[in-house]
Amino acid sequence: MTISGLGPHGERAAPPERVILLPDDRTAAKAAGWRVAVVLHTLESDWAKQQLAGMMGIFGDCGAAVIDVVDCAFSPDMQVSELDRLISQSPDAIISLPVANEQVAAAHRRVSEAGIKLVLLDNAPTGLLPGKDYTALVSSDNFGLGKIAAKGLSAHVPDGAKVGVLGFAADFFATNEREIAFTKWLLVNRPDIIPRIHRFARIEDAAAAADDLLSANPDLAGLFVVWDTPALAAATRLAERGATMPVATVDLGEAAAIALAQGDSFCCIAAQQPFLQGIAAAQTVILCLLGRPVPAWIALPGIGVTRDNVVESFQTIWRQPAPREVLRVLGLSRGK
Amino acid sequence: MPLTAQVLTESSRPRGKGRPRTVETAAPSLVELLNLVRTGAANTRQELERQSEFGRAVVADRLTMLGDLGLVDESELGTATGGRAPRLVRFAARRAAILLATLDQTAIGVGVADLSGKLLTEHHEAADLTAPPAELAERLTALFRWSMERHAPQGSIWGISLSVPGAVQGATEGDFLTATPPVLPAWEGFPLVETLTRDFGVPVWMRSSVETMTMGELHAGAGIGTRSMLFLKVGRRIGAGIVCDGQLYRGAHGAAGLIGSLPVTSGGRSGPLDALAGLDMIQSEGLAAAQDGRSPMLADIQRRGGEITAIEVSQAAQTGDPASVAILTESGHLIGQVVATLANALNPELIVLSGSIVQTNDILLAALREAVYGASHPFVTRDLRIIRSQMGSSAGLVGAARVASEQLFAPAFLKEWVMQGSPLSYPAFTALQDRLSQTASPPPPPRARNGQELPR
Repeated sequence: MTISGLGPHGERAAPPERVILLPDDRTAAKAAGWRVAVVLHTLESDWAKQQLAGMMGIFGDCGAAVIDVVDCAFSPDMQVSELDRLISQSPDAIISLPVANEQVAAAHRRVSEAGIKLVLLDNAPTGLLPGKDYTALVSSDNFGLGKIAAKGLSAHVPDGAKVGVLGFAADFFATNEREIAFTKWLLVNRPDIIPRIHRFARIEDAAAAADDLLSANPDLAGLFVVWDTPALAAATRLAERGATMPVATVDLGEAAAIALAQGDSFCCIAAQQPFLQGIAAAQTVILCLLGRPVPAWIALPGIGVTRDNVVESFQTIWRQPAPREVLRVLGLSRGK
Repeated sequence: MPLTAQVLTESSRPRGKGRPRTVETAAPSLVELLNLVRTGAANTRQELERQSEFGRAVVADRLTMLGDLGLVDESELGTATGGRAPRLVRFAARRAAILLATLDQTAIGVGVADLSGKLLTEHHEAADLTAPPAELAERLTALFRWSMERHAPQGSIWGISLSVPGAVQGATEGDFLTATPPVLPAWEGFPLVETLTRDFGVPVWMRSSVETMTMGELHAGAGIGTRSMLFLKVGRRIGAGIVCDGQLYRGAHGAAGLIGSLPVTSGGRSGPLDALAGLDMIQSEGLAAAQDGRSPMLADIQRRGGEITAIEVSQAAQTGDPASVAILTESGHLIGQVVATLANALNPELIVLSGSIVQTNDILLAALREAVYGASHPFVTRDLRIIRSQMGSSAGLVGAARVASEQLFAPAFLKEWVMQGSPLSYPAFTALQDRLSQTASPPPPPRARNGQELPR
């Protein structure tokens, strides 16, 4: 699987195999007994839970204590204050997902300036440089995710139709890449499709944004939303207004998997691999603490999921059985 | 900005006899004061009086004018040192924005910067520069519009700065471009500069990628505070940026540092450095090593249907593949020999290497260091640091922003527009716009259909 995007500073992607730990690395890490903290945008989502699960296993194997796991509730202010609080605790490393761009850049820079190794997830605030202000960025190939979604949705959209794009208003590397890649794929491969872009600032606003998009474009024939939670809210609102249409999104959360299996509106999901991403992030932390060079950008490829492969994809991505409802809808679970 | 309209009206009147009006004599002092504030040389009224040697009344009057024009902001208070806290004078860097693009052989990057040259956002994606130029211009325009929508909502763009993969002929200091200079053979005859000027209504500047990356590294990367630096870009072509006395040295025609055409000899072959040490050589040698059995690792990539590029050779070398290590070592030695000559001539305190291979590989850097240290006078290498860039492709965007911001506020240029509060009112630029508006736009690329909308 190739990586089609470039990193936040134009870096070429390094595969997660570049940060594999050898037995010697684990032994050396155990002897060091490092303290690590994790700062995420939320702890509520399936994506966040799987990231943490991937990280915890590696940190456990390497004898690194995770001293704090912070839920920033998507708030830049909270992230800034939490990072400053963590700096005062002097962990050896922090894994952080910056929830915004300029608002949180200085706080992340303070982490590095305090001599704490900083590994970023999914987003690198503009102006922060790898090797200087942070060690490495670990993310999905978000550009590739946008392309997978566009290709999947386009098969369900007639010639010359309008397609809505619900983007994220915050300046965030991952969602920017998905939006840009989605529209670019259409421009190159389906120039007959007319994209109509609208953005939401908070997840709670996604349904209203879908409302606005539909009101401005009553002839909308498809929808792409940059991740699954707002996509579910938007699809529900559109259905309430009698405008059921094919929907593509990113992230195979449990509810999104059920919606995909039901086949009412969701037709394609470009899935990240959060469990493997968590593993790669933790391994990157261990390697940089051992003083080994690590790539500036480590990217994991996305997986295209449709109704046909939702069960096995769910198992691959989440390392657990597909939800019972998915199995029931697809006729694979025949019990009550 | 009420002053703008007033000034325009007054300026347009024929000058009468007698003493010149304030608005006619204010420009030089406005230029000096604005640049003192912009560069951070002075940030209170007292400091401005001291540094400019203008009287208190003149400084107060000019700051009021600059404030009305939206170019300075005096809303913040500084730290009191015994008396009342001084009012800080800040450059209004967010008054407008600059659009930026780096066009590389395999990628394009776009960004938005404020007027101080600070990057507000950036995006990079793969691109093929040998594709039809109309396609490239279309993509650039779409990405610019996307960036403007996110970061310059009022449409207040004051310039576009482009970084291109080759020396830019005709780009003299201080001038925005009025026509597209010859840069790449594939672009010949395509009015890229004219198209961007017409579509966005702003002046366009263009510099070589080595020049912009050098500027970026000097002002925001490893070169901060450095007076003498060599910047090396290792790609398909190999170029050098030269910094002397803290300034980029461009040469007579902007062609300084084209070291890729210097002749070198390797393994009995002679040729230009580009051909014997650049990415094309690394790729072709990697392919040969895969095919003749010297590199099982590269052969395996090929057997699985993967393409072998210089990146694959670099990654194989990094993981210990002996044939790939030898290829990168040879490349590093050849580049190092040429760099040693430059280092002996210029005695830099810092050499920075950049490019996709250097960014992901330690072997080429190590070989280059070995060659430079081995072939240089001991005094030259006594405190010399040879490091790789930490900025990646951001260096090009940051440097392009710096080019535009320095040109916009260069005293000779600034003097012509400061009274109007916007460079878009500069007479030579409005004349260019008039001329371009009378010429037809280039046709859209072949795949675009009528009625198609670009992403907005």
